[in-house]
Amino acid sequence: MATKIFDKDTILDLTVNFVPLGILAVFIGIFVFADPWGFDLRASLPMYLIMFSMVISLGILTYISGKAIAGDEKKAEVYSQGQAFLDGAEPIDPHGHGENSEETDEHESKTDPENEEH
Amino acid sequence: MEINAQIALTVFMGVLLVAVAAWLTRIEDWRSYSSTAGGVVSQGERSEYIEQEKPAGLIRWLTTVDHKDIGILYGIYGLTAFAVGGLMVVLMRVELATPSTTLVGPALYNSLMTSHGITMLFLFGTPIIAAFSNYLIPLIIGADDMAFPRINAIAFWLLPPSALMIWAGFFAGPLGLGFEAPQTAWTLYTPLSTGSAGGSLDPAGGAGIDLMLLGLHLSGVAATMGAINFIATIFTQRDENVTWANLDIFSWTILTQSGLILFAFPLLGSALLMLLADRNFGTSFFLADGGNLLWQHLFWFFGHPEVYILVLPMMGIVSYVLPRFAGRKLFGFKFVVYSTLAIGVLSFGVWAHHMFATGMDPRLRASFMAVSMAIAIPSAVKTFNWITTLWNGRIRLTTPMLFCIGFVSNFIIGGVTGVFLASIPVDLVLHDTYYVVGHFHYIVMGAIAFAGFAGIYYWFPLVTGRMYQATLGKAHFWLSFIGTNITFFAMILLGYGGMPRRYATYLPQFTSLNVIATVGAMILFVGQIIFVWNLVNSWYAGKRVESGDPWDLKRDGVHTVEWQWFDRKIETAITDGGEEEQNAVTDGGEPIDKSENN
Repeated sequence: MATKIFDKDTILDLTVNFVPLGILAVFIGIFVFADPWGFDLRASLPMYLIMFSMVISLGILTYISGKAIAGDEKKAEVYSQGQAFLDGAEPIDPHGHGENSEETDEHESKTDPENEEH
Repeated sequence: MEINAQIALTVFMGVLLVAVAAWLTRIEDWRSYSSTAGGVVSQGERSEYIEQEKPAGLIRWLTTVDHKDIGILYGIYGLTAFAVGGLMVVLMRVELATPSTTLVGPALYNSLMTSHGITMLFLFGTPIIAAFSNYLIPLIIGADDMAFPRINAIAFWLLPPSALMIWAGFFAGPLGLGFEAPQTAWTLYTPLSTGSAGGSLDPAGGAGIDLMLLGLHLSGVAATMGAINFIATIFTQRDENVTWANLDIFSWTILTQSGLILFAFPLLGSALLMLLADRNFGTSFFLADGGNLLWQHLFWFFGHPEVYILVLPMMGIVSYVLPRFAGRKLFGFKFVVYSTLAIGVLSFGVWAHHMFATGMDPRLRASFMAVSMAIAIPSAVKTFNWITTLWNGRIRLTTPMLFCIGFVSNFIIGGVTGVFLASIPVDLVLHDTYYVVGHFHYIVMGAIAFAGFAGIYYWFPLVTGRMYQATLGKAHFWLSFIGTNITFFAMILLGYGGMPRRYATYLPQFTSLNVIATVGAMILFVGQIIFVWNLVNSWYAGKRVESGDPWDLKRDGVHTVEWQWFDRKIETAITDGGEEEQNAVTDGGEPIDKSENN
């Protein structure tokens, strides 16, 4: 089940949270290997605890939210935000493939001089 | 023997509680307290107009549990606090037009500064967000009302006494009550706030500080009750079509904000009570060695998430409103959702970047720098998403859209200046200078307040059934945008020059930039007068909106459910014999050539 939910598209969506995780990993690596201030349990333990707790918490929340969102995407129709029970709303492609490109074409044709009035 | 007595007491208390519960079930039919009582429900296919008669006049507002009424109450409260906090800072900026004290003495300046900060953060920022969320979230997610409507009402009614306690010192002096307004800054750093000569005798405000602590605690209790309510509402009261994949971005940000409140505010409450105990009951939580650092750690463990408590929902409003006037869906919707959650988590690992200059261990300091750098990413992701949403969109520069774009612009400056402060070496140079004041005002005024204005203008027709005056709205935007940038950019430059913050006086070499900042503040002030006039005047006399789609959102396929609710409300009102007025107008909606309502 988990592998079905976390498919390529979902992983791609989650990359946004992998970046801060990566930054934290780099800092942790620097502090471990460069060790500029030496190791002292009273200071080093909270130092690593703060960073690791963030990595773990963010990882867990990303997993849970990814599972909830991607799971619901596979169970029910997905609509644009604020349109879930709007009369006549059309479902959208949850992974947005072509969504924005389609929109772009559409809006290029829609753009009109009226915009400049506002 | 002693244990037996304790067991007997416990059993007695248990029996007493059961007896009270049984008595309460006999005297009241609790099932009659339906969450829909007094509310209007018209959502989706289950549309049903079930508004019950509400009492008239003041009694309605004092007894209401309708989420929309409570939202309006929060809005009025928040804007009143915004006016009070704004007038305080106008006085301060006038004083700062000259290097020496002229208009306001140092003690009053300190009091104004303290109350300005607390008023804007606790009495304006949090309540104005609650105004939007109370009114809109049940409508957007298809809930009948909040999960706990009466808790919702209680949470609001805790706020007026909270404000009175926070401001009490200003009344106490003239009334001769023997204490003054607090002069501790909103951070309440010890030992200044512990009161070296006893709680009621210290020079920083005396009992005024105690009252402020109690008022803050009360506002924290209110915020926590509201947060629990929103979490319960979003988790349990959603329409069946509103899956997690369909939850809108504003609700996501409110859910995240509520989580932050749930973890942050109780800790602030504990710290405030500890400080009260130190001041009045002879304890020494913050008087012992390390006590001052302990206060800072406790305060900022709350204080930094508080920044995100304020900014996340406002980002949600921008993410919701901006695409409506770009004529397209929010670019990278899920990126924005996951970024919101990431900010929520990481906000609890950055608090000590406010304390880089305290002399704490460099290892500890470095870890907070690392997390502070990491948290910049999700904020930047959102910014790029907003900009990309605008790309090739059918942009309509209505007043709400102008404020959204102003938000993005100011947020970039406020955010980038913040990233520099996250770096320890830079922070040590700029710490406690006006650079910090400029940075966080770009966020608090330039971003948070701007998003609030965007939301107010966008949903003004929905709440009042009338349209504001578009020309005045745009004047408000331009004066606010120019005023904000003049004032706070001058402060950033003052900080580079080394001017320390929190003083009523300064060295003459800083005069020019301070005069510029004061001129900027006056421009802002004029803008806000126009805003208040526009709001009040349009609420009473603005032309009625007849269309359920005053922003012409259907044209671009970006119509949303709260406007559908509004549409049905209008239809129902007309069916009920409501008056049909002509000349419905919009600001950028339809008809285009009637967009100004002057």
